[in-house]
Amino acid sequence: MDDVKSQLRLDENEAYEETEDTGYHPKAFNEFERWFKRQTTIHGRRDLKDLLFKMLLSVVVIIVCMPFFMVLIQVGTVGMGVLLGSGPGQGLDFFLSTPGPGLQGGVLNAIAGTAYLVGIAMLVGVPLSLFGAIYITEYTRPGFMRSSVEFAADVLAGIPSIVFGAFGFTFLVIYLRIGMGMLAGGLTLAFMMIPTVLRTTQEALRQVPMSLREASLALGATKWTTTWKITIRAAFPGIITGVLLAMGRVMGETAPLIFTSGNNLGLPTSVTGPGSWVASMPYTVWSYISDPRNYVNDKAQATALTLMGMVLLIDLIANFISRKVTRRLV
Amino acid sequence: MAKGTTIEVKNLNTWFGRKHILKDISCYFEDNCVTGVMGPSGCGKSTWLRTINRLNDTVGSFRMTGEIFIEGKDIYAPTADVYSLRRRVGMVFQRPNPFPMSIKDNITFGPKLHGINDGDELDEIVETTLKKAALWDEVKDNLEQPGTTLSGGQQQRLCIARALSVDPPVLLMDEPVSSLDPLSASKIEDLIVELKKDYTIILVTHNVQQAFRVSDRAAFLYLGELVEFDKTAKIAEAPSDPRTEAFITGRIG
Ligand SMILES: Nc1ncnc2c1ncn2[C@@H]1O[C@H](COP(=O)(O)OP(=O)(O)OP(=O)(O)O)[C@@H](O)[C@H]1O
Ligand SMILES: [Mg+2]
Repeated sequence: MDDVKSQLRLDENEAYEETEDTGYHPKAFNEFERWFKRQTTIHGRRDLKDLLFKMLLSVVVIIVCMPFFMVLIQVGTVGMGVLLGSGPGQGLDFFLSTPGPGLQGGVLNAIAGTAYLVGIAMLVGVPLSLFGAIYITEYTRPGFMRSSVEFAADVLAGIPSIVFGAFGFTFLVIYLRIGMGMLAGGLTLAFMMIPTVLRTTQEALRQVPMSLREASLALGATKWTTTWKITIRAAFPGIITGVLLAMGRVMGETAPLIFTSGNNLGLPTSVTGPGSWVASMPYTVWSYISDPRNYVNDKAQATALTLMGMVLLIDLIANFISRKVTRRLV
Repeated sequence: MAKGTTIEVKNLNTWFGRKHILKDISCYFEDNCVTGVMGPSGCGKSTWLRTINRLNDTVGSFRMTGEIFIEGKDIYAPTADVYSLRRRVGMVFQRPNPFPMSIKDNITFGPKLHGINDGDELDEIVETTLKKAALWDEVKDNLEQPGTTLSGGQQQRLCIARALSVDPPVLLMDEPVSSLDPLSASKIEDLIVELKKDYTIILVTHNVQQAFRVSDRAAFLYLGELVEFDKTAKIAEAPSDPRTEAFITGRIG
């Protein structure tokens, strides 16, 4: 016990001496050096263990972060080259032109296609999930029905996206005879979105304090008015955040689209039927990256970079909304 | 301007599921005075209050027998309209719960529900109710600010103003100051005394001193039974039931 104490005192003294010893180095470096010394000074077996453990953890952290940086560097450098270049299908042209002969042009078809597909998915998926969540949370009592819907949604949210693709193909394309194209693709994405949006909306509604609803009822409002004017209003930021996150997720999905949306080197001309085949950004990344031509591979990276940027932007907006409003409500 | 009305409770029994909460309560609330309802935690004070504006109806397991008359009309009669009842019985909750909207919208929400849409009239209501709630001077320049940005005490006064916005003759208050600092609490106590000129007020509290300070008549509820209901001064001086005495001297509760 005494030993440890004297040891501690010693450490303090050392630290003190070190702080005295400034002036030789630039400040930041000096601080780093002190920090590093503190981390690596070994006073006994415990410190050694500590140091080894710290090193192990640092290595793990580096390994964990590496893929992220590698992806960023690879996609970033190659993609940026295309986005900033000035050749055909580079620079602004990359966003504004369709691939054209030899896939030399831009990827407007993919960007517009993703916008159409996600647009349809939101148009169909968001209202369904919202009404579903509102009904379940506000108008049913806890019980078998509520828990089975929640269970089903949780299971669906965890199902691999290729399964949704297969379902979209067999059910929408073949069984309902919608055919491949924009509608089938969009609806498949909607199916993917519904469980997530339903659950996040439910969670947002549940966060609304009961006494807020009661205050409205106590003023003579109907249940309906209370739900629409008070509860949903209070839950709105959470709902929007959930919708945006789900939107960001389905934007990057290839698997649900492979069998349902088809592909298109131009822009679709209709919502159903043969003219409705439509490209999408993830699908384009996939097909461009497996192309033998180098400049097409580069365009795949640029598309991926654009997609990442878009998803990042959406996530940032979602994050901003949820943080800003949590502050306001608490 | 509303004037308070009387409330008569006859043989009221309530249950949540199979739990018998209120046991055969009969009493008469005078108009234009403050009735304090005291009792230990969990004895059914809130439940009692919430039968008077039928807020318990929203709880699935709630069941009741007996009658409650406001101005002689049975509020649980099959033909009674729960929405107009709640308009006539305002409620203030334990924790300030302003709606997530501007101060002004918080006040106009109620009147708009009941068909008042004229801008000038709404402005007038905003001003008079905020003045009644002693909040006007503090917020008159920031009416568009979110109600949730006010301090706790201000929020509670906003909630009182909101309850007054539909001009109810009866005001139910469920421990309205228990979550506030002493200064805000005493402000609101003063406000309650001021308001009783125009309203019938039922104030739930488990703070005996507060009940004595504010109320004209007091009820003591113990394990769902109405043990005592009398003039506050009488109860403070000489409670007729030993349980009441034990409670006000701090031995139970
Ligand atoms: N929604 C509900 N469902 C089931 N039981 C309930 C419900 N609300 C209240 N109770 C029960 O009714 C009893 C009385 O509750 P109540 O809230 O009326 O007490 P209270 O006197 O207001 O207590 P406090 O002073 O703590 O607010 C408690 O035992 C409580 O568990
Ligand atoms: Mg209570």
